[in-house]
Amino acid sequence: MSVTTNPGGKSGRLSDRQKDVIQKFAALGSLFALVAIFSLTSNAFFTVGNGMTVALQVTSIALLGIGATCVIITGGIDLSVGSVLALAGVVAALCVKELGLPVWGGMLIGILTGSACGLVNGILVTRMRLPPFIATLGMMLIARGVALQITGARAISGLGESFGVLGNGALFRVVRIGEDGFPTVVFPGIPYPVILMIAIALAVSFMLNRSVLGRHIYAVGSNVDAARLSGVDVARTVNFTYVLSGTLAGLTGCVLMSRLVTAQPNEGVMYELDAIASAVIGGTSLIGGVGSISGTAIGAFVIGILRNGLNMNGVSAFTQQIIIGLVILLTVWIDQLRNRR
Amino acid sequence: MQDGQIADARALGSHQLLASEPLLVLAGISKEFPGVKALSGVSFDLRRGEVHAVCGENGAGKSTLMKIISGIYAANDGRMTYKGLERRFSSPLEAEAAGIAIIHQELNLVPHLSVAENIYLAREPRRGFLVDRKSLKADAKRCLDRLGVAIDPDRLVRGLSVAQCQMVEIAKALSLEAEVLIMDEPTSSLTEQETQLLFAVIRDLKAAGVGIVYISHRLDEMAEIVDRVTILRDGRHVSTGDFAATSIDEIVARMVGRSLDEKFPERTSRPSDEVILSVRGLARKGVFSDVSFDLRRGEILGFAGLMGAGRTEVARAIFGAETPDTGQIILEGRELAISSPRDAIAAGIAYLSEDRKGQGLALKMPVDANLTLANMEAVSNRFGLIDFARQDEVARRYVDLLNVRTPSIRQPVRLLSGGNQQKIIIGKWLFRESRLLFFDEPTRGIDVGAKFAIYRIMDELAAQGIGVILISSELPEILGMTDRVAVFHQGRITGVLETAGTDQEEIMRYASGYGRAGS
Repeated sequence: MSVTTNPGGKSGRLSDRQKDVIQKFAALGSLFALVAIFSLTSNAFFTVGNGMTVALQVTSIALLGIGATCVIITGGIDLSVGSVLALAGVVAALCVKELGLPVWGGMLIGILTGSACGLVNGILVTRMRLPPFIATLGMMLIARGVALQITGARAISGLGESFGVLGNGALFRVVRIGEDGFPTVVFPGIPYPVILMIAIALAVSFMLNRSVLGRHIYAVGSNVDAARLSGVDVARTVNFTYVLSGTLAGLTGCVLMSRLVTAQPNEGVMYELDAIASAVIGGTSLIGGVGSISGTAIGAFVIGILRNGLNMNGVSAFTQQIIIGLVILLTVWIDQLRNRR
Repeated sequence: MQDGQIADARALGSHQLLASEPLLVLAGISKEFPGVKALSGVSFDLRRGEVHAVCGENGAGKSTLMKIISGIYAANDGRMTYKGLERRFSSPLEAEAAGIAIIHQELNLVPHLSVAENIYLAREPRRGFLVDRKSLKADAKRCLDRLGVAIDPDRLVRGLSVAQCQMVEIAKALSLEAEVLIMDEPTSSLTEQETQLLFAVIRDLKAAGVGIVYISHRLDEMAEIVDRVTILRDGRHVSTGDFAATSIDEIVARMVGRSLDEKFPERTSRPSDEVILSVRGLARKGVFSDVSFDLRRGEILGFAGLMGAGRTEVARAIFGAETPDTGQIILEGRELAISSPRDAIAAGIAYLSEDRKGQGLALKMPVDANLTLANMEAVSNRFGLIDFARQDEVARRYVDLLNVRTPSIRQPVRLLSGGNQQKIIIGKWLFRESRLLFFDEPTRGIDVGAKFAIYRIMDELAAQGIGVILISSELPEILGMTDRVAVFHQGRITGVLETAGTDQEEIMRYASGYGRAGS
């Protein structure tokens, strides 16, 4: 004990504030570390083009992660988003192809399908008092089943070019036609899905931090009894988070199907786990009451960059899973250390 | 070595010790928890074949003492002699192996296992790797038969009544061949008939030489079975004597006998004749019945009674947290239809829970968010967006008003002391401009200075014409702060007393179901 001198004797224990800062920077720091390492190991990694590719790949994880974060803050969980996004995308495609609706109309119906699934989840949890894990597990199977049923398990293609605009279009894309007549891409532009992701992240973050609803979401997750006894409408608050999660799943489904210009009923398998992982890496507590959209965004980028960087370095898909699994365990372990006092 | 010692002790116990020699002797037992001295220098002894009651107010140290005997807690100081040998049990299992069993107030049975499996849990008779189901059932049946109760050993515990569970617990104690049996409030949830059945079993056990420690608040029924009584107060031993030679009044006087040395502020509010709250015939099946009382403007009304008498439940029913079956609640002349806390809050009713951390505060959230949680409309605009400048102003105002000690209004409330947490909850309801406040054990676990501040706030509220109801198990607090006291006993109000004309003994008599008998 007396080997080292320790003036003040305080340096052994960090204050909560310091621990919070460390946690935030741990995730952000590891993100920068990943970028640095992959830039060194692969020339193609740190380029504008690849940056946009990563951002595009991250959008689906991030959009689902934003919904998952809100649900998890209330102390719940949503396992159904992977299936719901498939159902929503398939519904959108069928509306366009079979019913002849315009693309925006079909996609709106697709997104609303996601909202409806979320509403059912919310009612199962609040009214019928099913554990969120069970309620959304049931929805996960049902939504996937319906998606396969209505498509006959076949992909829907031939949707027309306009169906692909949402997923493949980009803003500020600069293309110069060279003297040889071939176009050169000067700037690939900011893909629409990335713009969508940023806008929604800002909006939900604003909702959580600035609105009464957001305050209620944290209060329910922090102490559901205290919230109820303070007059918070717990059922409505919890319901909202599931509807939000379902809606974002619906939107993700439309974006993904649009990118492929094909609706796949098998799309999005296990995406719910990526969404939950991104929230958890970003410091959202599965016990509820703690979490932020900025953290989830960092978490989504950690997963996306890991995948992209490992791909570029020729690491096999199997090894990638192992590495991402280890990253999740490591970050949650750090979180546990932080909460142990 | 351990086993040898136990075997020796058993041999000594059954053959060589004289009947008059105590089975169990505790001397100078002390136990400290962080910040609280639960027991200081307590002595206790138990003879074979006697029922020894331990009495005291809530928090007097009864349960702590029992947990030390049964190896759940380790004493900081003192000696325990069991069957002539000094022992110190480091776990409940060790105490059980030596023949000391405890039946907890909240029964510890596994609902989804059968009666027989519960009796022999973790001690199942085996044949190789497998449970020997035949002898399991036969052994369990033998234990139950010894008690003279007809419970099928194959039934699931889930389907049993509380009394039957009690019997299963006792059967389990018998199967351990317990020589010391500790019963913590065994009759609290039993009917009169079931209680008589339990007493018959206790008499049999007595005759068989088992020493029984009996903890109960029900002084009325003790005369039937208790031989000696030990009284604890504030973690100290007050007296031990023959029950027959001690009157109920003496026991009560010794239980509450401390002087009124706590400081209370001078009451400035005076009760008027105007009734703010009128409750008529409030009932909830199996919890409380026929609860009627009035609260006048400027008055502080006390709810006194023992744990489980229904005080908190009545308050929660008026607050809408539990739905009563029947009854009228009239607040300021208007009859209320309350079905949720939201309704009650809208009507101007506030409830400060006895469970501060569990039900009062969002602990991970900061001071400002907790202060405004019950009245978000007042700090947000019509689009549901929070006005942070207004929230800061409100938080600062109540932190100043209530003198909350916090480094900042952004401090998470879990880092504040108990007294300051309580002030945050009070502030939350003051900001809501409540018309009626229930304070449920508001000073539990709070230091003296903060207690005084909370008493003064209660007085000021009453003076402003806000209805205040104080639920407390601390009789000095009830006597020091209230104008009248409604005393609860088993879900009923047994009396409404003028505080100035009563004393702790009278309140305790009403709370024990003795009513006017002693006065």
